[in-house]
Amino acid sequence: MSLAPSLLPQAALLAIGVGGPALLLAVLAASSLVGRPLPERWTARLTAGSMLAALAAFGLGLAGTLTGRHEPGLLSYGAWSTARPGGIALEFLVDPLALAFGMLTAGIAGVVSAFSNRYLHRESGYQRYFVLLALFVLGLLLVALAGNIEVLFVGWEFVGLSSALLVGFFHDRRAPVENALRVFAVYRVSDAAMLSAAVLLHHVAGTDSLSLLFGGSPTATALPGPAARGIALLLIVAVAGKSALLPFSGWLPRAMEGPTPSSAVYYGALSIHAGCFLLLRAAPLLERVPEARALAALLGAATAVFAGLTARVQSDVKSALAYAALTQVSIVVIEIALGFYTLAFLHLAGHACFRLLQFLSAPNVLHDLHALEERLGTRPIPGPGAVGVLAPLRLRDPVYLLALERGFLDSALDRVLVAPFVRAARWLTRLDGRLCAAVLPREGLGPAPGPPGPGGEADE
Amino acid sequence: MTDSWWWLGALFAGPAAVTAGSFLGVELERLRALTVAAAAWMTVVALGVAWQPDMRAVLLHSAALAWTAGGEALLRVDALSAALLPFAAGLWLLTVAVTPQAALDRGGLRRTAVATALTALSFLTESALVLLACWAASIRTFVAALSDPAHAVQRRVVVVYLGAATVVLAVGVVLLVGPQAGHPVAATVGTWLVALAALVRMGVVPFHAWVPEVFDHGRLGPAILFSAPQLGAYAIVVLLLPGASPALLRCLALLGLGTAMYGAALALVQTSARRACGYLFVSQSALVVAGLDCTSTPALGGGLLVWISAGLGFAGLARCVLVLEARRGRLDLSRFHGGYDRMPLLAATFLAMGLACTGFPGTIGFVGETLLVNGAVDVFPVMGFAVVFASALTGLAVLRMYFALFAGRPGRTEAALPGLGLRGREAVTFAGLILVIVGLGLQPRPLVDSRLEASEAILARRQAHAGGNGASRASPAKRAGAPVTHRGAGSHGAGHGTRAAGSEIP
Repeated sequence: MSLAPSLLPQAALLAIGVGGPALLLAVLAASSLVGRPLPERWTARLTAGSMLAALAAFGLGLAGTLTGRHEPGLLSYGAWSTARPGGIALEFLVDPLALAFGMLTAGIAGVVSAFSNRYLHRESGYQRYFVLLALFVLGLLLVALAGNIEVLFVGWEFVGLSSALLVGFFHDRRAPVENALRVFAVYRVSDAAMLSAAVLLHHVAGTDSLSLLFGGSPTATALPGPAARGIALLLIVAVAGKSALLPFSGWLPRAMEGPTPSSAVYYGALSIHAGCFLLLRAAPLLERVPEARALAALLGAATAVFAGLTARVQSDVKSALAYAALTQVSIVVIEIALGFYTLAFLHLAGHACFRLLQFLSAPNVLHDLHALEERLGTRPIPGPGAVGVLAPLRLRDPVYLLALERGFLDSALDRVLVAPFVRAARWLTRLDGRLCAAVLPREGLGPAPGPPGPGGEADE
Repeated sequence: MTDSWWWLGALFAGPAAVTAGSFLGVELERLRALTVAAAAWMTVVALGVAWQPDMRAVLLHSAALAWTAGGEALLRVDALSAALLPFAAGLWLLTVAVTPQAALDRGGLRRTAVATALTALSFLTESALVLLACWAASIRTFVAALSDPAHAVQRRVVVVYLGAATVVLAVGVVLLVGPQAGHPVAATVGTWLVALAALVRMGVVPFHAWVPEVFDHGRLGPAILFSAPQLGAYAIVVLLLPGASPALLRCLALLGLGTAMYGAALALVQTSARRACGYLFVSQSALVVAGLDCTSTPALGGGLLVWISAGLGFAGLARCVLVLEARRGRLDLSRFHGGYDRMPLLAATFLAMGLACTGFPGTIGFVGETLLVNGAVDVFPVMGFAVVFASALTGLAVLRMYFALFAGRPGRTEAALPGLGLRGREAVTFAGLILVIVGLGLQPRPLVDSRLEASEAILARRQAHAGGNGASRASPAKRAGAPVTHRGAGSHGAGHGTRAAGSEIP
């Protein structure tokens, strides 16, 4: 590892900003693993401390970068996995965008952790929740600061896994667990697209550096057109999966099964914006691929209309908020596609904070409504809204049904993708059975031995 | 006898003691304790062997059984075997430490010791005939574990599939090392036959059907111990890689990649946890086969690393299933079993092992798969996309199993079961396994360097073979067949091409 002296302050701040959540994760996970979880008070203090430290580190880094005291650049820690050539490098891109998103992440996670401390007080999964929250924060910080595709992927995977496990947090009920699996399935598609982009980049350019992919390098233009197009399109698929853009929007209401603070931090504030952040990072690449920009804008517009309509007919407040958040996320995507990067980031940051507040106050919504009714002395009845007024009479019912059924996205995916896959896999399983039976022409496989009861069979 | 030979003696002392104890009528409880101690001892010694550069001087060399110039190593420790020995010993320790006491009788304990000794001996040899003998003996041990009449069908499946694989391997080896070894047709046919045998043993499609059947209805414990070390992969490395044509290796890689996706996809829809484990094994072992396509040093190093990570991850995951079965009976994945709160460590272990199989960051699996993909993608981009796809499916399959096994409300019967929590030995073993998987994932450098070193040696051997192909086939040393005991001078190479000549001992 050799860093330029001008990058040392950034490296120190990075160590605090990323190292804090990493250490927190290690401590919480290890204490859970050995069956001695930390007391709630200590868990909350450690979490708050590490988030505050990260917030301060990224804040200082951002201030230093913006005032010209610190130099933005690539912090490369060399081959981490091996002393030989060809290993995996640890690279962090420390620039204003990364530091600002890191700051936003640490700040919002700090607020949510303080809220969660009370919300989940004496909950049996308290420690598990904070382990997963630490994993999420670490993952998102790695996404923000990634300098090469491996680091980006590590962060992307951490965010995905923690998200799925938090959706299934109340795992003694069936619905959260089934929905968590659904969410994870979409995330795997997103991950696969991201990794495929990495594979393509590696194949075409022989590197995994994001500066080549995202244009910070002088060799950025060396990426040939078709390859750039392929990588950009794969990245858009990855973004669509992570940010619930069409056609992947079906998982969003399912993700509301998790505890409210986690819904707030994931689907109101941060995780849902991870895709937007990636698009911002990839902006130079998008500029070279007009088709990708057009696709992003189209996806954003379609999702905004869809989510806007769907949000209006949701019967539970968290789903309504989730779709409302998706509307804004889609607009951010459109802004990025149109090249308004600063506006997009400000929109992203403002929306994340605002939606966080809405989600965290969601459990109080009935209380607030009652208070409102008491003040008004009557129950406010919502009007038909702009859609109800403007939509032609003939279209109202189909549009209402479409919104109510959330675009039939899940059932369409089930019919088109899941059902044929399951049918084919089961047929192949039966085929395997027959292949095996074929070597036993006389007796075939016969009935399986009866299920062993508790205590197990003699099985070394 | 030098220190190195004492180390090797100490390595096999554990299995020997257990085997002897089982025949000498040592009381069963003591024998169990002895087995756990012996497995722990073997693991420590194997780590010592791997750690010491001096151990690379161990070489028992002979031209009697060889087809390459100057003979081959009947027994040697090199970069390849250095990490495989602790791997084999660790699998034994995992087996005996977490298997319920009632499930390990005297014969079972002996079989685990013999199987491990055979695996370790296989990893120490480059001789085709010695490897063939170990291969056949390990299958014999596995078949013996299925001697119960309830498993007669599965025993027959194993005998037919693996017996045929052994015959095919034997013919292939004879063609490679027999009197006709110099003939190009014999060499080609022999190579393909060896490849075929390895594919059957590793359960690569279309020779995989025995795996899910034996895992599901046979005995899962012996199946894990038999399959996790992946002797088929070792046969490919030792017998095929030096001389196999790129076309054959590419063919194996394509079969492996197809199987990796196939196994993961089928694991996703199984309703039996055991069968799902079977398909996961098929997927993981196929990934190892694909990784042995010699495209580059990092890619082959990644493949060798995936071998260890997939073996450990799969064995740990399947052991978790067995531990659960011991408490709940056969596990059906179409419903939720609950119980996370009563055994969070087991749930965490299951998840960590499964994630290692998927190449999840923070586990050793991630390092292996990344090296493999990054190293291979330049010349074989299909590898990258296929690994990505297989990994995505494996991840889904693992999370589905995790939720089915640990989430939900336990049924009335299960909730009433006493002792759902882990015993002390199980808890320590599983916590240690997580530490190994995650520790090597966070600090992979020693293992990765060792795999890359082995990879370089294999590729050097391949180059040397390509250079001296004709000469080696007509080697007078081989024709003379004179046994030579030889102590090498500490070369780190895995093969003959890189090994320095040492002093001969009459």
